[in-house]
Amino acid sequence: MIRNITLGQFIPGHSLIHRMDPRMKIALTFAFIIFLFIASNFAGMLLMVALMFVVLLCSGVPLSLYFKSLKGILFIVLFTAVLNLFYGGGTVVWRCPFFPVMQITDGGIGNAVFVSVRIVCLILYSSVLTFTTSPTELTDALERIMKPLKVLHIKVHEIAMMMTIALRFVPTLLEETDKIMSAQKARGADMESGGVMQRIRSLIPVLVPLFVSSFRRAYDLAMAMECRCYHGGEGRTKMKQFHLTKVDAGAAACTALICAAVIFCTAYFPASLR
Amino acid sequence: MFVLEIKDLTYTYGGGTPFEKTAVDHVNVGVEKGEFLGIIGHTGSGKSTLIQTLNGLLRPTSGTVLLNGKDIWAEPKKIRAVRFQVGMVFQYPEHQLFEETVLKDICFGPSNMGLDQKQCEERARRAAEFVGLPDELLGKSPFELSGGQKRRAAIAGVIAMEPEVLILDEPTAGLDPQGRDMLLSQISDYRTKKGNTVLLVSHSMEDIARCADRVLVMNEGKAVMLDTAGEVFARGRELERMGLRVPQITGIMLDLMEKGYPVHPVLTVDRAVGELLPLLRKGGDRP
Repeated sequence: MIRNITLGQFIPGHSLIHRMDPRMKIALTFAFIIFLFIASNFAGMLLMVALMFVVLLCSGVPLSLYFKSLKGILFIVLFTAVLNLFYGGGTVVWRCPFFPVMQITDGGIGNAVFVSVRIVCLILYSSVLTFTTSPTELTDALERIMKPLKVLHIKVHEIAMMMTIALRFVPTLLEETDKIMSAQKARGADMESGGVMQRIRSLIPVLVPLFVSSFRRAYDLAMAMECRCYHGGEGRTKMKQFHLTKVDAGAAACTALICAAVIFCTAYFPASLR
Repeated sequence: MFVLEIKDLTYTYGGGTPFEKTAVDHVNVGVEKGEFLGIIGHTGSGKSTLIQTLNGLLRPTSGTVLLNGKDIWAEPKKIRAVRFQVGMVFQYPEHQLFEETVLKDICFGPSNMGLDQKQCEERARRAAEFVGLPDELLGKSPFELSGGQKRRAAIAGVIAMEPEVLILDEPTAGLDPQGRDMLLSQISDYRTKKGNTVLLVSHSMEDIARCADRVLVMNEGKAVMLDTAGEVFARGRELERMGLRVPQITGIMLDLMEKGYPVHPVLTVDRAVGELLPLLRKGGDRP
C-alpha cells in the first residue's frame, strides 16, 4: 500500500526532451511559466497551449501518464474555476435566486476557462521536466544554475548534495517503514482501527524506530563519504559534464519565438478578446 | 494433527501489473506440533514471503493457511488473534525497539493482547529470562544496549506473547559465534520447555543441521524438499545446484562417499569422528 506513492516520477527514455541539457530544461520551464502569466488573452494562451502540446509529444512519455498527473490537482482546478465564475464583469448570465449578489457573467465564464487552462498548462509543463529528468540530473543542474549565488556565500553545492541525498533515500525509507510496520503488526499493533488520536498514537512504534534508523543511516553515510575524502564542493569536478547541443539551441529558439509571439499578441490584440 | 498447515498456497506480488511476480508457488507443507522446522533456500526463493503468510501479514493470493485446523483468514477482522498465536521475529529485530525501557518494549506485545500490566510484566520478565537478558538491563533504554542485547530484547518481545508457533527469520545474522551458539540453544530450550513449535529460517546450514528436526527447502517459490535434516543434507549435490550448500562436515563426508569410503553423510563433527576413527584404525585399505 505504501509503495503506491509515486515520488520522483522519472520515466527513462531517449526522446528529444530527454536528451536536452537539464539546465536548459529548467530555464525553459521557468520561461514557460512566466509567459503563462504574461499571456493575458486567448490568442496568447492558444500559442502557449500549442507549444506545450508539441513539447508533450516530443517527450516520448505516454500522454495517459500526463493525464494521471492531473488527477491530483483536479480539485484545485475545479475550485478556482467555480470561484472565478462569480468574479468578472460583463453581461449577467445567471443570478442566484437566493443571494442576488452571486451572479455569473460572461466575463466570469471567460475567467474560469482561462485560469483553468493556465493551471493545467502549469502542471503539465512541469511534469515534462520531472518525467524526463532524473532526480540526480535535476539537482546537478540546479547546482549549476545557482552557482552565481556563491558570491553571497550561499553553499550551493551543499544544498544540491542534500537534495540528492534526500531524494535517494526516499525509497529506502519507504521500504524501512514497511518492514517496521510489519514487525509491529506481528506484535499485535493495531494501525487500522480506532479514532484519530488512537491512530496517531499507534504510529509511535513505527516513527521512533524509523527516526532512529534514519540517524543510523546518516552516520553511516557520513562515514562512507568521509572515507572517500568528500570535503564539499571546493575543487570538485564532475563525471558527467553538461553540454549544450543543437537540440537545446533549437528548443530555446522555438520557445523564444513563441514568447515573442505571445508578447506581440498581448500588446496588439485588445484585452477584450478574453 | 498439524499445528500449521499450508495448503496449495500461492502468493503473487503486483498482481495485474506488468511487474507481476509469483513469490510462492503452490506450496503444501504441514508443520507438526512441537517440531523444529528449518527453512532454507537461496535469496529470493520465497522463504520470507512464505513465513509472512503464516501469521497473516500477507494474505495469500490463493490457497489457505490452517492454524490448528482453522483457516486463519476465515474472519479477517480477527487476524490479530492469529498474530498472537504465531509469533514472528523478523530479520534484525532490534530495529523495531521503540519504548523508553526494555521492559516496556517487551510488554508491547502482551499489552496489545489486552493483558493487564501485572500480567504483562510477569510475562516480560519470564521472556527476558528465556533469552538471557539480566534483570538490571530491563530498566534501561533499549538504545543503550549492545547489539547482541538489543537482539535478545527484541526476540523477548515476541516470546512474551507466548505464541504457540514461533517463527524466526535469520535470528543469528550478524552475531558473533558465541552469541550465535547461545541464542540457538536458548531457542531450543524454549521449545523443549514449552513444547512449542519453532520455524527457523537461516542461511547457516550448520545452524539448521544443529537444531532442526525437519528441513524445508525452497527454490524459486516452490517447496522442493521436506524431510529430516539428515535426508535433506544427504542430497548435497542437488542443494548445490540450487545455490545452497551443506554443513561443512557433511560436505566432507559426501566427498569421501563419492571416493568410495564406507561412511554416511552425518551432520555433526562428533558423529563424523565416530565414523572416521574406526576407518583410520583399520588403516591403509583404500578403496
